[in-house]
Amino acid sequence: MDASMLGAWVATGLTLFILSFLYKDNPLFKLAEHLYVGVSVGYTIVKAYDTVLVHLILKPIFEQGEIALLIPVAIGSLMLTRYAPRASWLSRYAFAFIVGVGSGLAIPRVISSYILKQIEDTVRPLMMLVPGEGLTFTWNLLNPASSLNTIIILLGVSSVLFYFFFSVEHTGPGKAVARTGILFLMIAFGAAFGYTVMARMSLLIGRLTDLIEFADPSYGRPTVWLLLLTVGTLIYLNGRTQGTPPDAH
Amino acid sequence: MTFAERMLRIDRRIIFLVIGLCTLLPLLYPVGLPIKISPEVRGVYDYIEKLPEGSVFLLSLDFDPASKPELHPQAIALLRHAFRKNLRVIAMTLWVSGTGMADQLVTQVAKETGKEKGTDYVFLGWSPGGSAIIINMGQDLYTSFPSDYNGKPTKGQPVLDGVQSLKDVNYAISLAAGNPGVEAWYVFGKDKYKFELGGGCTGVIAPGLYPLLRSGQINGLIGGLRGAAEYESLVGQKGRAVAGMDAQSATHVAIVVLVVLCNIFYFSMRQQGRQQGQIR
Repeated sequence: MDASMLGAWVATGLTLFILSFLYKDNPLFKLAEHLYVGVSVGYTIVKAYDTVLVHLILKPIFEQGEIALLIPVAIGSLMLTRYAPRASWLSRYAFAFIVGVGSGLAIPRVISSYILKQIEDTVRPLMMLVPGEGLTFTWNLLNPASSLNTIIILLGVSSVLFYFFFSVEHTGPGKAVARTGILFLMIAFGAAFGYTVMARMSLLIGRLTDLIEFADPSYGRPTVWLLLLTVGTLIYLNGRTQGTPPDAH
Repeated sequence: MTFAERMLRIDRRIIFLVIGLCTLLPLLYPVGLPIKISPEVRGVYDYIEKLPEGSVFLLSLDFDPASKPELHPQAIALLRHAFRKNLRVIAMTLWVSGTGMADQLVTQVAKETGKEKGTDYVFLGWSPGGSAIIINMGQDLYTSFPSDYNGKPTKGQPVLDGVQSLKDVNYAISLAAGNPGVEAWYVFGKDKYKFELGGGCTGVIAPGLYPLLRSGQINGLIGGLRGAAEYESLVGQKGRAVAGMDAQSATHVAIVVLVVLCNIFYFSMRQQGRQQGQIR
């Protein structure tokens, strides 16, 4: 059995075991779930050890003599003092360093990218100066930069911001603006939910495509055999549960 | 119990079965529904198409196997396009759990297109730091990745000739399943080091990236399996994404029908309740 065939059997088995949860919780699902958690954590630890400790720390220090690396290593090692209660105060220096550097790097960049750039895009001019045509107003809804879309965005941003402004009671004209805000929020949630459904269906399509591929005789038909195994196990477990008196649980 | 009540209390496993069949049948018997190319996907394609031969193209595969069905086809289509255009490809990942998969993917497409490791492309692998690694790459690529995924020193590799930092990258694309991903590449990369950036993402995070697209912070966006199918069509090599589009459409129709039916049953029950004076 070569690696690709073994991979096909493992992938098929784990996919079917996980999908068996759609019928009901069972030991096959639990097995696949625990394997997933164990394998992903194990893989991450091994990759992090190999990349960070071996390739970025030990090799440069011992093979290339990059002694300066001992400074970040020392700061990072202070984190480990959390495990020794008497020395745990030392870890605060490492955290302070991370928080300080992280904030310093992130704050200006985030303000520039998310606030300034987005405000700039929200308050675009309503009329466009087109050479030869003068000031024009474009009605095309499909063009994101059209004047009509600029108005819709302005309306949406203002009304949603007003909806979250709780210092004024939402009555009279304020109620209409807040309701408009809710409408925009609902549309946004609907779009997000639609995309989420699409993404989840894509995952199902991915797994089913693999199951169809692995039903091929060149792999030894793992889909067929393991499907029979999974269904058989579910029937057996179901029969055993039905035969157990309720007091036994 | 009325019909509407019975329907609203239906065993959810029947719904799973319906969705499962709506996905499975079009995969077994495809009909080939047409795929319309959206402007956001075309934005990425056109930019790569206009890049001159030998330009530096950075592809950051910021996802793990959990998002493989959506982002793997995007990555394959993009790499095929880049290799066909004879771009110099620098591949990497910000997600440690996706390292092995990313290496396998890049190697597979390079082999298929006859490209050589070190000369035409390099896979840098993963380096710790998340978003900070992008800033580090903007200062000096070789301090962030002193060696590639296979342990070969990055300095001196022909594919990286003239590339010192992110400022020397002509076009970068992040295929993201979350954070760090497209947003991190914009905030810590493009905004600071001024290279052109495109994005690819899972369907779940796509709505959150549209504001970046509209404001021109990214020049294109490939969203989910649908985006991958569009890109496969543009490249002219139809693959898994195009094959999955019939199933995607069928499941969407099934879900819309179920939502409409549920609403009809719900309102009819409410109406009956009103008539019986249970609901005011």
